[in-house]
Amino acid sequence: MVIFADVTTCSMKQGLVFNIEEFAINDGPGIRKTVFLKGCPLRCVWCHNPEGLSGEPQIMHGHDGDEVCGRLVSSDELAELLIKDKDFFQMNGGGVTFTGGEPTRQADFLMEVLAILKGKVHTAIETSGFCAEDVFRKILELTDYVLFDIKAVDNDIHRKYTGVDNTLILRNFKTLSFSGKPFVARIPLIPGVNDSLEAMMAVRDLVEGAPGLERVEILRYHKTAGAKYHMVDREYDPPFDTDAVPEIHDVFKHCIIL
Amino acid sequence: MMTERISRLKDFFFNRSHHYVRRTPESLGIDRLCEEYAAKGMPAAERAASMLETLLKEECPFIFEGELIVATRTITSVPSLFTEQEWKALKAEHYLHENGMLSNISPDYGSILKEGLEARKQSFASLAERSDGEEKIFASSVVRSLEALQHLIRKYASCAVQMKDDELAAVLHNVCTRGAGSFREALQLLRFVHYGLWESGCYHNTLGRFDQYIFPYYQSDIEQGHLTKDEAYELILSFFLSCNKDSDLYPGMQQGDNGQSLVLGGRDKSGKSLFNEVSQMCLEASYDLNLIDPKINLRVDSKTPLEVFKLGAKLTRRGLGFPQYDNDDVVIPGLMKLGYSEEDATDYVVAACWEFIIPGKAMDIVNIGALSLAGAVSESVDQLDRFESFDDYYAWLEEDIRRRCIALSKQFTNLYIAPAPLYSAFMDGTLERAKDITLGGKYNNFGIHGTGIATAVDSLAAIRKNIFEDKTMTVEEMREALDSGFEGHEATYRKLRFESPKMGRDDDYADSLATRLLDSFAKGLEGLKNERGGIFRAGTGTAMYYISHATGLKATPDGRKAGEVMPANYSPSMFIKHNGPVSVMKSFAKPSLENVINGGPLTIELDDTVFRNEENVEKLAMLIRSYIAMGGHQLQLNTLNKEKLLDAKVHPEDHRNLIVRVWGWSGYFVELDECYQDHVINRIKYSL
Repeated sequence: MVIFADVTTCSMKQGLVFNIEEFAINDGPGIRKTVFLKGCPLRCVWCHNPEGLSGEPQIMHGHDGDEVCGRLVSSDELAELLIKDKDFFQMNGGGVTFTGGEPTRQADFLMEVLAILKGKVHTAIETSGFCAEDVFRKILELTDYVLFDIKAVDNDIHRKYTGVDNTLILRNFKTLSFSGKPFVARIPLIPGVNDSLEAMMAVRDLVEGAPGLERVEILRYHKTAGAKYHMVDREYDPPFDTDAVPEIHDVFKHCIIL
Repeated sequence: MMTERISRLKDFFFNRSHHYVRRTPESLGIDRLCEEYAAKGMPAAERAASMLETLLKEECPFIFEGELIVATRTITSVPSLFTEQEWKALKAEHYLHENGMLSNISPDYGSILKEGLEARKQSFASLAERSDGEEKIFASSVVRSLEALQHLIRKYASCAVQMKDDELAAVLHNVCTRGAGSFREALQLLRFVHYGLWESGCYHNTLGRFDQYIFPYYQSDIEQGHLTKDEAYELILSFFLSCNKDSDLYPGMQQGDNGQSLVLGGRDKSGKSLFNEVSQMCLEASYDLNLIDPKINLRVDSKTPLEVFKLGAKLTRRGLGFPQYDNDDVVIPGLMKLGYSEEDATDYVVAACWEFIIPGKAMDIVNIGALSLAGAVSESVDQLDRFESFDDYYAWLEEDIRRRCIALSKQFTNLYIAPAPLYSAFMDGTLERAKDITLGGKYNNFGIHGTGIATAVDSLAAIRKNIFEDKTMTVEEMREALDSGFEGHEATYRKLRFESPKMGRDDDYADSLATRLLDSFAKGLEGLKNERGGIFRAGTGTAMYYISHATGLKATPDGRKAGEVMPANYSPSMFIKHNGPVSVMKSFAKPSLENVINGGPLTIELDDTVFRNEENVEKLAMLIRSYIAMGGHQLQLNTLNKEKLLDAKVHPEDHRNLIVRVWGWSGYFVELDECYQDHVINRIKYSL
């Protein structure tokens, strides 16, 4: 976790960051730095980063006592910090991945940072795809790589377990697909929710054939997802069997299971 | 791939099924030979030869079913050469390093494998004939020692004949006198030489550049069609296994601290990579065998291909705490700066833990002492009000470090090491000098560990920032807080511990102080000579001092509480908030590590969840390569699972196989003293 100085006056946009992780090796190509932007419009019942849900700074009860989770940072300050590792990223085919929360939730800030990094550092966003279409298009132009989460193609399931309709998500996915931008389709695999063969086939029909698709990544649900809820005074009570092992239907051309 | 034979033998030795052959010196009536020696007034060199003769005469040959590389120790310990009174007298008169026996250097295995024991013996026999006095005693002791080793090999050869293992009998017959004529003979002779060194009471017996001195035998056998790759691999597994048979009998600070380090790869003088097929097989063999010995060091540089790092990373994944990576780009020029010739520096190997030594040539004592840099900074707090600026203060501190270095250097005078005639047979120049290696070699330098580096640097950063720059803390306030162990000084404590710059976060504020401090340490030792004409080498290792130097140390300006541990080796303080391993590497690569090249790795603990798939192993390989490219000198990566370690403390019986890196070596977790167990548990840092 990088602690920033509080920014009071600054012409640049400010964003709320709740973590920066180094040596991120499961968030895109090469060795990356992953920036977690706070705030998410979805309420996925399996979410393992509950501190990323709220778009406001909040108290988190950690091992060393209470701490504020979420720091305001200006886009140039963040970009400068990320550019520091430029050579390291280049050497290792890596770069920066913005995730969250939902990074598009802070679109103006994100776009400013992406614009500064463009041409200097390889960038990726990990997104639920839940954002206004014009915003999504603009962000897509500024980033080099996308990790697009697909929770469920079936809208009822999607609404039930994430709290939002997936029409917009599927439209943005189509935009991504047409853009030719290299991307990874990521499926959080939740037992009894989206691990049926039928659900996987629907994802396959959606993603296969997209020119930019590099591979599908299946992220198996793990019980430790609930580990941080008490730290932000939330209860973890998912409406599925957390002890069940999700079924894996690898129906994809190129898929890895994480 | 492990073969069925090796799996069976591994189980056999791991279950200690061979321990039934062991006898104590007491049971053989040879435990008090020193009294006879003393009564006769026997010179020390003759005692060493006599003792080895007796031990190797008493040794019984045991060849266990399926063994390809033989020789198993049956006598549990090496009796003392001197009586207690004699030791007392020696201690009163001399500086003794550790237990007084020769340790932690590296023989010239290549030459002895080529030349053979008989030829070497004849050389010393002719020296004995033409010399007199001390020299004659020395030369005759070498001859007797080599003869004793040959006697043991003959016993093994007879045993093989009785067992109707003609192939083994032929190997043993040949290596008894001649240089190795095949890959198998080379490994078997190496085993006997190594065995002999242990049985002569020398310890931390390293294995040197194994892949280099063994390769010619491999290449020749393969070319001539005498050996297949699979056979060669099984022989390497056999040799590696043999390093684990008797290792519990080898002396060390803790079980596992036995110094059987083996070096792979590296380059030659022209810069050409020497990583060969044997190097690769060794990395694979170590992975397949999954045992703590030999401890692998991998010499690399900025040009080393990623494939080599991947083999290393795969072995790291095993959780054995090695390979340790050594950077030729930094080590070779660093050693040359200290006066080692280019040829010798290029041929460097690694001592028991991490110290860089020259095989065959150096009689360096690389771990003779340690300077607590944290202690120096801690005590300097009393001087703080004398200075207007940080630079003035630092200039004084640098002089103080110099004073400490000078004082320390004077502690090691009138050094005595018990003669080691067998070891002398395998070192360069002993024949020409007609002197035991313990009396000196081509290089006679002493190494000094600088301990508590991160604690010292963070303390300097806290002093500079809070007292001299921001002026938000008075000297009085800091001193009172430290003296009271922060009792009643909660705000000061938090400011120092959590809000001051720390080394390891890629923050130039702290890191530039690390550069200064390490330069000051190197300068402190510069120009000092030891009584053997050698110099003092500054290093970044800690050995066990990370516990002992921390124990008596009061609270320090970095916010460390009294008695709280310090990090092992060259690592960030244990309580700082890390950004992650990349920042740690960037920070720790900043100082001019060439100047502190005694050795001591950056140590990074990785949670074993890092290795979820092959892709991640490759990314770890990239990370390691990056540290080398940034100019880091040495790197140790450990993979650990905290839950497993905590469980192992409670249920040791369920975790007999659990291996961890302790400081410069790996050991079985359940066999460690509790303070070391706890330290290992507390340093787990990076998980994903």
